[in-house]
Amino acid sequence: MSDAAVTMDLHPQPQPGEARPWAFPAPERGTLGNGLTVLRCHRPGQQVVAVEIFLDAPLDAEPEGLDGVATIMARALHEGTDKHSAEEFAAELERCGATLDSHADHPGVRISLEVPVSRLPKALGLLAEALRAPLFADSEVERLVRNRLDEIPHETANPARRAAKELSRQLFPASSRMSRPRQGTEETVEGIDSAAVRAFYEAHVRPATATAVVVGDLEGVDLDAVLADTLGAWTGDSAESRPMPPITADDTGRVVIVDRPGAVQTQLLIGRIGPDRHDRVWPAQVLGTYCLGGTLTSRLDRVLREEKGYTYGVRAFGQVLRSDAPASPGGAAGASMLAISGSVDTPHTGPALDDLFKVLRTLAAEGLTDAERDVAVQNLVGVAPLKYETAASVAGTLADQVEQGLPDDYQAQLYARLAGTGTVEATAAVVSAFPVDRLVTVLVGDASEIEEPVRALGIGEVTVVTG
Amino acid sequence: MGHTATAQAGSGGLTATEHRLANGLRVVLSEDHLTPVAAVCLWYDVGSRHEVEGRTGLAHLFEHLMFQGSAQVPGNGHFELVQGAGGSLNGTTSFERTNYFETMPAHQLELALWLEADRMGSLLSALDDESMENQRDVVKNERRQRYDNVPYGTAFEKLTALAYPEGHPYHHTPIGSMADLDAATLEDARNFFRTYYAPNNAVLSVVGDIDPERTLAWIEKYFGSIPMHDGKQPPRDGTLPETIGEQLREVVEEDVPARALMAAYRLPHDGTREADAADLALTVLGGGESSRLHNRLVRRDRTAVAAGFGLLRLAGAPSLGWLDVKTSAGVEVPDIEAAVDEELARFAAEGPTAEEMERAQAQLEREWLDRLGTVAGRADELCRYAVLFGDPQLALTAVRRVLDVTAEEVQAVAKARLRPDNRAVLVYEPVAAAEAEDNDDAEGTDQ
Repeated sequence: MSDAAVTMDLHPQPQPGEARPWAFPAPERGTLGNGLTVLRCHRPGQQVVAVEIFLDAPLDAEPEGLDGVATIMARALHEGTDKHSAEEFAAELERCGATLDSHADHPGVRISLEVPVSRLPKALGLLAEALRAPLFADSEVERLVRNRLDEIPHETANPARRAAKELSRQLFPASSRMSRPRQGTEETVEGIDSAAVRAFYEAHVRPATATAVVVGDLEGVDLDAVLADTLGAWTGDSAESRPMPPITADDTGRVVIVDRPGAVQTQLLIGRIGPDRHDRVWPAQVLGTYCLGGTLTSRLDRVLREEKGYTYGVRAFGQVLRSDAPASPGGAAGASMLAISGSVDTPHTGPALDDLFKVLRTLAAEGLTDAERDVAVQNLVGVAPLKYETAASVAGTLADQVEQGLPDDYQAQLYARLAGTGTVEATAAVVSAFPVDRLVTVLVGDASEIEEPVRALGIGEVTVVTG
Repeated sequence: MGHTATAQAGSGGLTATEHRLANGLRVVLSEDHLTPVAAVCLWYDVGSRHEVEGRTGLAHLFEHLMFQGSAQVPGNGHFELVQGAGGSLNGTTSFERTNYFETMPAHQLELALWLEADRMGSLLSALDDESMENQRDVVKNERRQRYDNVPYGTAFEKLTALAYPEGHPYHHTPIGSMADLDAATLEDARNFFRTYYAPNNAVLSVVGDIDPERTLAWIEKYFGSIPMHDGKQPPRDGTLPETIGEQLREVVEEDVPARALMAAYRLPHDGTREADAADLALTVLGGGESSRLHNRLVRRDRTAVAAGFGLLRLAGAPSLGWLDVKTSAGVEVPDIEAAVDEELARFAAEGPTAEEMERAQAQLEREWLDRLGTVAGRADELCRYAVLFGDPQLALTAVRRVLDVTAEEVQAVAKARLRPDNRAVLVYEPVAAAEAEDNDDAEGTDQ
């Protein structure tokens, strides 16, 4: 402390006023004549409407050797339709002031549309066209394939992306789609053509297995009429949804260094898999994981950043990979990726990992404190109204729930369950989520600098692979 | 708020009131009761342009120190108290300002005001060597993570250094150099605070579910006794001739995944009608997937994996139009450059079509709706217009000004500014990692 004189009047810390109640919005659920499930949610004041589409077209449905076909299909949907060429479609959409993103992930394909409410009917018309009548012209698909091939070296060069790819390869058996890059490899993408894209579309895209979520200020919008004219005009047969394969992973404690000679930092990603949101432990795991590495005052950053200065920040998180309601109690369940990620400067890689594992061991030995638990609950529950201020954030969470087979009130209930979770449960959940001997550590960094210090830590067998 | 679709072009029904405390602190309040949240935003009129030679990065390093405690808030208390109250918070540093913000559940607003006042008035009573040394290391790791350890990570820094001449206040970026970060002392930080962190050098905005009278009373209570001071010198003049007058160029040989062409065009200052026209020109040329450059390079020629334009709006120096093209496998940069020049020349000669104007204006309008659609976004924009242009109300009418611009004005700015002799060009040529290192050593580059 320096003795600089304080020249202002100091006042005691103020006490909070009375909280105004807030609840995660309850959507209205319905089904259109074509079988499309629709969730709608009126959010006063949100002039930019968010629409999320979920298509039941999971990555494990991609034909053998065609990893990436779901990604190319997702992109090709809006690259030319029966009414507009690819260029015209993009122009019409932007004329609405809209943005449209589509991507394929393990559970299926997601399309996100955002548009000012005044132009919602027109934008929904374009979206419906993309779903109903995509052209998949040879030349456009060929272009998207080449574009995708050009993207891959950029992803490989990015330390965080490279680490994620390696962790998946390490954790999952080679036969599992999850072991391989979501958007395919050079070898598989090369083999994708318009026939393969169309076949994937015909097999997996239909209104009966799709869901649309519409969120925003819908006052003054006759949404039923708009939907009837747009997404309601999409037709298709019915289909059984594919059973989700069980997810297994090898989390034997070990270290893999992806060699990057000369790297000034080491990207670290330490992970394994764990339960999904259907599991009763989820709220406690969320709470415990926040205490471990949710923010810069959590245990990891308190040491690695705020005491030692080894990093700009390290985070612990749980992210659902794929999930569905178990068909029977105790039936096949989904999984989430539980991980710790961040980057540390090269010379301190050994000491930083040593401290990181010490934090985990101390947590297992001594548990969380009540004060930590209280602050975590207050933050996780308290930030909800901020987090869900925009239509896009509400739509995203509602679509996640659909994608994971969760009830529409899941998020609303989660806040109540978080508030009812005690210190002991949160400790047990985070300790079993991050056991020190069952973590796969991926380090993207300069092996000549970091291999020896990392070996000395004894956190598992160390192997080095090329970048 | 209650604005209708057609009122979007106006202020959307939003209003803001302005106040000034006796110590010079300017205050902007805006009510919105739709969600029980309140955003606090505090802009200090200091950024990297105020830094002196040998001390680049000091404004940003100092921003980190603002989270290390003050008279009544120990250690990381600022973060702990806000997050424990269900709020979110951060601070950022740019060329022209440093901002701090908390978004709180409405009933916790007073806490955020108390915290901001405590550090504005008493930071130096808590600032010590330990915080300084720790945050110096954190910021150096921030620099490594965001710039030095990612492909093309230092492109922006290199382009800025090319586009603004040596000695110009915008020649260096806010992250600063490693050498200067190492050289900064605790006394530098103290002097920085004494010079720039004064109530009369700041604007505070509070937006959301608030009672304006009560909010103003809290602000008076917590901030009112902080003494004003006038230690601040105006920043060095950032004005430059309208065009560069020649093409500046640098070829970078680094371990990057693909060749790239990047360029910075010198554009009108923010706050002018010409800057809005430039924004529209760059949107037509390189914004989104129906832009001229995307259609030409990505769709038709198929020579680029991505191609686009961005606008860095600056008030105290010419703005920058930033071109970024990553080539497809096997494509050479001169092919890209020729196509870009052709498109820019055609655009300057013909101007935008009516449909292109409509698209570009619709895109910029949605971006504004997004920015003003959250209390935190609105609070930040109110501060921006108050600090940089002296009038927060301009934030509420910004979108109308963009929609007012004509095709002729867009063409005029393109013709005058988007020319080869008004840009700094950065060309990336990939080389293997070992080779790139050698080059760095040869040039004595700071790693």
